[in-house]
Amino acid sequence: MTTVAIDSLLPKPGLSFRPKANVLLKPSRSLNCYRNPKLLFSRGACSCSFKPGRRIHVVEASSTDAAVIDTFEAFSSGDVLYKETFPVKRIEKVEGKIYIRLDQSEDQKNWQLAVGCSLPGKWILHWGVSYVGDSGSEWDQPPKDMRPPGSIPIKDYAIETPLKKLSKGDMFHEVKIELNPSSAIAAIHFVLKDEETGAWYQHRGRDFKVPLVDYLEDDGNMVGAKRGFGIWPGALGQFSNMLLKSETSQANAQSSSKESKDSKKENRQLEGFYEEQSIVKKVPMGNFVSVAVRKCSETSKNILYLETDIPGDVLVHWGVCRDDVQTWEIPAAPYPPETTVFKNKALRTQLQPKGTGNGSRASFTLDEDLVGFLFVLKLEDNTWSKFKGNDFFIPLSGATSVVGQLAQSDSVSEEISSKAYTDGIITGIRNLVSGLNSKKSQKTKTKEAQESILQEIEKLAAEAYSIFRSSITTFSEEAVLEIEAPKPAVKISSGTGTGFEILCQGFNWESHKSGRWYMELKEKASEISSLGFTVIWLPPPTESVSPEGYMPKDLYNLNSRYGTIDELKELIKSLHEVGLKVLGDVVLNHRCAHYQNQNGVWNIFGGRLDWDDRAVVGDDPHFQGRGNKSSGDNFHAAPNIDHSQEFVRKDLKEWLCWLREEIGYDGWRLDFVRGFWGGYVKDYLDASEPYFVVGEYWDSLNYTYSEMDHDQDAHRQRIVDWINATNGAGGAFDVTTKGILHSALGKCEYWRLSDQKGKPPGVVGWWPSRAVTFIENHDTGSTQGHWRFPGGKEMQGYAYILTHPGTPAVFYDHVFSHYRSEIAALISLRNRNKIHCRSTVKIVKAERDVYAAIIDDKLAMKIGPGSYEPPSGSQRWSSALEGNGYKVWELS
Amino acid sequence: MEVSVIGSSSQAKICKTELAYRDLRFCFGKNNDKSKILSRKPNSVCFESQTARFRKARLRFTLEAVHSEAVLESKSSTGSNSLDKVRLFVGLPLDTVSDCNTVNHARAIAAGLKALKLLGVEGVELPVWWGVVENEAMGKYGWSGYLAVAEMVQKADLKLHVSLCFHASRQPKIPLPKWVMQIGESQSSIFFRDRSGQHYRESLSLAVDDLAVLNGKTPIQVYHDFCASFKSAFSPFIGSTIMGISMGLGPDGELRYPSHHKPAKSDKITGIGEFQCYDLNMLNLLKQHAEANGNPLWGLGGPHDAPTYHQSPNSNNFFRDHGGSWESPYGDFFLSWYSNELISHGNRLLSLASSIFGDTAVNVYGKVPLMYSWYKTRAHPCELTAGFYNTASRDGYEAVAQMFARNSCKIILPGMDLSDAHQPHESLSSPELLLAQIRTACGKHKVQVSGQNLASGAPGSFQQIKKNMLGENVLDLFTYQRMGAHFFSPEHFPSFTEFVRSLSQPELHSDDLLAEEEEATESVHTSSDANIQMQAA
Repeated sequence: MTTVAIDSLLPKPGLSFRPKANVLLKPSRSLNCYRNPKLLFSRGACSCSFKPGRRIHVVEASSTDAAVIDTFEAFSSGDVLYKETFPVKRIEKVEGKIYIRLDQSEDQKNWQLAVGCSLPGKWILHWGVSYVGDSGSEWDQPPKDMRPPGSIPIKDYAIETPLKKLSKGDMFHEVKIELNPSSAIAAIHFVLKDEETGAWYQHRGRDFKVPLVDYLEDDGNMVGAKRGFGIWPGALGQFSNMLLKSETSQANAQSSSKESKDSKKENRQLEGFYEEQSIVKKVPMGNFVSVAVRKCSETSKNILYLETDIPGDVLVHWGVCRDDVQTWEIPAAPYPPETTVFKNKALRTQLQPKGTGNGSRASFTLDEDLVGFLFVLKLEDNTWSKFKGNDFFIPLSGATSVVGQLAQSDSVSEEISSKAYTDGIITGIRNLVSGLNSKKSQKTKTKEAQESILQEIEKLAAEAYSIFRSSITTFSEEAVLEIEAPKPAVKISSGTGTGFEILCQGFNWESHKSGRWYMELKEKASEISSLGFTVIWLPPPTESVSPEGYMPKDLYNLNSRYGTIDELKELIKSLHEVGLKVLGDVVLNHRCAHYQNQNGVWNIFGGRLDWDDRAVVGDDPHFQGRGNKSSGDNFHAAPNIDHSQEFVRKDLKEWLCWLREEIGYDGWRLDFVRGFWGGYVKDYLDASEPYFVVGEYWDSLNYTYSEMDHDQDAHRQRIVDWINATNGAGGAFDVTTKGILHSALGKCEYWRLSDQKGKPPGVVGWWPSRAVTFIENHDTGSTQGHWRFPGGKEMQGYAYILTHPGTPAVFYDHVFSHYRSEIAALISLRNRNKIHCRSTVKIVKAERDVYAAIIDDKLAMKIGPGSYEPPSGSQRWSSALEGNGYKVWELS
Repeated sequence: MEVSVIGSSSQAKICKTELAYRDLRFCFGKNNDKSKILSRKPNSVCFESQTARFRKARLRFTLEAVHSEAVLESKSSTGSNSLDKVRLFVGLPLDTVSDCNTVNHARAIAAGLKALKLLGVEGVELPVWWGVVENEAMGKYGWSGYLAVAEMVQKADLKLHVSLCFHASRQPKIPLPKWVMQIGESQSSIFFRDRSGQHYRESLSLAVDDLAVLNGKTPIQVYHDFCASFKSAFSPFIGSTIMGISMGLGPDGELRYPSHHKPAKSDKITGIGEFQCYDLNMLNLLKQHAEANGNPLWGLGGPHDAPTYHQSPNSNNFFRDHGGSWESPYGDFFLSWYSNELISHGNRLLSLASSIFGDTAVNVYGKVPLMYSWYKTRAHPCELTAGFYNTASRDGYEAVAQMFARNSCKIILPGMDLSDAHQPHESLSSPELLLAQIRTACGKHKVQVSGQNLASGAPGSFQQIKKNMLGENVLDLFTYQRMGAHFFSPEHFPSFTEFVRSLSQPELHSDDLLAEEEEATESVHTSSDANIQMQAA
């Protein structure tokens, strides 16, 4: 009965009916969708279904369509001057719930944990387990048979499993994990992740913890605790990310069937439970505003009708204009009910709810001599809704309106004409869009041209800079003295450079591919120098079984996939010319053999260092070495070298000295130093006297980022222990800092950036002069991505390490990316303020969403979305740099 | 076709406004016919009529265009603060040519010139040193190095402003010509001398201007020959590439006495300096003047109660705020003489320059220092020791401006980057007020002003420069000092780039952003005004 009317009013029926969940999440952007009455209808139903505390039913607002008809009916006749529907985007918080259910599966043997979520989204369960006897809060990967199909392992400690709808009509996305109560698993940990928004849903700021044994200590994040043990956490907390609702769902712990009397362990009496928690998600919503204008035949006034489906109170802030300049003015009365005058400039009318409770409306009577009706909408949550950033403008003089013309056309062919009307609009929009696009592309083009000019300027400037800088010696002595004078007197110790070093990692995981990396890098030498770097780390130079160079074979053969030995020397020479010190990436832990032993095991070496199997550690059965037990962890892909052998050490020392003298390296980046005792490293460094050394002591195994302890002292202790073993002859990459930055920046936990003593929580907090801070390298990032820095937060990371003590290292991929200028600015700020590896840090804020520190009383910095301003006392701070999520000040 | 919620879309709005702005430029740049655009029939009828808000948008653009056009016109007719009118120059390194008359770091300069050209800089300033060109013997000029630079500049399609430097430079070290220094060894009286007997060997004393102390020639004659030689050597460039010449007027090229022998360390407050009237010839002039005035006793030396270089004004009697000798008849006698000698010296050199370059298309400039320290005291001791009789009760720059006007020369004023806010409070200095005073004097005498900066890349300096460029009196040109390692360093160059670009691109008005309800309402009503403001900015 009603469909006919709809068809004639809002033509083009029959556009696809979208499942409502989709409508919620992906408001359609095309106009014609919003003109589909069925869509309006479905949306009405939908927003209704997410009202707090309601059960979710399918489509109940069955009267919505009737409402639409009511209101527009009057405008279906021939006197319509104008009719338009505008889409409105806004953000709405949608509430839903998560449930966690533990019960026995049908076969009564196994148990299963089900986690479901009622909100639409691409939900992922990010989970792991802990075993009986585990200490700490680290996760382990669950056994393979526990992993539901579709699971993806995340490193070695977690699994990600998508939640699925059991059937199409189901409200919930759910995942079920089968578990065997006789396994040694003590608890299942999880967090929920919405892949569409990237949001993490946690439980009281921690992971959800489902205990499978009953003696677990409750850290406050346990769910489904058992009766009789008195550790019921009470009302379950809110989810950190969002959550308004504290009137949390009642956890209906269903007393479970207890028949699973476990034979093995008495205390393994699992009880089933069912728990619900509310969850709030911010969802972009698509709504509409419809406006129609009709001539009132009796009064010859215009009647403007406005309606919207935006829920809640909507205020129309409106005025009229008499010219095309759109000068707002207040028309003469009468006004609709609930209209107030706002500051003599505009009127404000509260929209009246429609009869059906979905949306609201108002009608305005306007004199016919007015040119237009102007308005903006003020929504309940104090946001304003405008049309493309401008006021909505509704023309009132019908003369130019095609709708008006249409009105005069034959009313019999109404359907056709209204179809033409729609088509007309669509073409109009298309023209407009393409017009905009061409304008846009024009703009982009000039912008591109501008960009390329700017790049050219930058290049020229860099060239000029490097030449000017190198010829700075033409200044008189006095001048040099004046420039250099205020340098703090920092003791130079071997292996750590001047203390003012800034490291550039001069390659990534793909650099070997061109076969001429050395030559490519040579062209960039002056550019890298001009950015302010002082040290560059080159890729491993030796002949290698793997193209990237980390599986060295003949140490004296320096022809690699990066280039020849001569090209390497040439590169180092040019790097030296522009004032860069060069680090060689030396792999001392392992070496690939040339020949097999009598058992067919590859452990006999060739080349200039033709060691036999005595040079291979004896405790790795793969390689049947005859050497001593390894002094560190073993790297299993190649024979590990036994550094306790005198002849091995002698040869390696000679090799390092050869690299120093013959090739020109100034220092080392030591690969995989976990593999052998730091004392041997000291031996090598004493012999080769490097200018700068950094060792890679990366133990990822002991590191969990999803639920990380505030206290990472154990982790940094291991790194510091290694540095100690080398007698402090060199530094080490500050893996701890990187890890903490991951959590702090990635999960908005900036409080982590201060340790218990108010110092930086990484190695840099304990031994800054030996800490080489970094956020990414060829392993963690690049195309390997073993442990990638939180995306988009890189500059915050650099704002941290480039303002803090320690020796910062910048990854090649970041240097030559759109971050370049920001990184250059940070480096120059560091240099300008003479921040060095021993600078002092005063942490002034380490809160949930902001970290701020003052370094050497010269620089102030903050990262994170929270606010911080440096003190406005006797010192005058002026903003020096500002970027996405970070800001740096210096004393003016 | 989107309606956005305000608060999250301010960015988008800016873009759009900008688009609108470009749009109208596009329309009117090519086709300055309002009625035509208004009446033009759009291709697509339905677009025009059905979505009437777009029609309205179009109309709005048009109207804005009319407005802004008018604004621009009125501006150019009054010749006031349009940024397009200020020509931006960048100084080349002081040691661009030195020693053996070769171009130093030519490759860097070539790259630098290209970069500047791409940035839209109008030209470069080249210091030409007496001690380089006429180094070996009097009258023996070596222009080859500078000619090579002029050629580079011409090739880069930039303009050249030449500064003729009759002084020496400490850093980089470029002394006066060897033969002059040799003369100076036997005749130290050609140099300025302070009360304690120290000579200032970086420029000649103004008292010898007309004395034949240089191998039988007066310094003025020597300068004259130098300029004439320059004119003939650079004749192919003059008027085409070379558009301006600064005449060196004293220490650091500036019209002043070397009252500060050594520039103060940056962390110290600039002292008041000392009077430089103790070389024999200055003392002679003073004596004559005193006798002519009937006060021979006043001609025996400078003020006995003036403090020394780095002392503060109140440490002795002369500059005291109240009851200081500067306000006594003696003080007036001495200061008038001291400053008149300086102005006469400037007059001699500038009239020399205008007589030589008057028949060419180049403008002649002279530089006046900005002695802004202690400006807020009554005595202005820094200006007094430098030779400007400018105190709380006397305007000393009128006479200077008048002298420039008489010679049809333009004034170069440094320190356009300095703001009062960045001066140490205790120094009682005010670069901004002093600059305003000098510019007012120049305005009165219709002397055009061109600007320079003193420091480079100090915080807030670019904003200050912009402020000065945009002031009520338009600058003739601005010369940014100075190309070199620091200039192109990543600490500095990006901000310079931004500065140059900001000169050619109007900034968006902050009115465009909506935040609070109040503002939102305000903006709803005045949005079209805001747009016009933006375009005018």
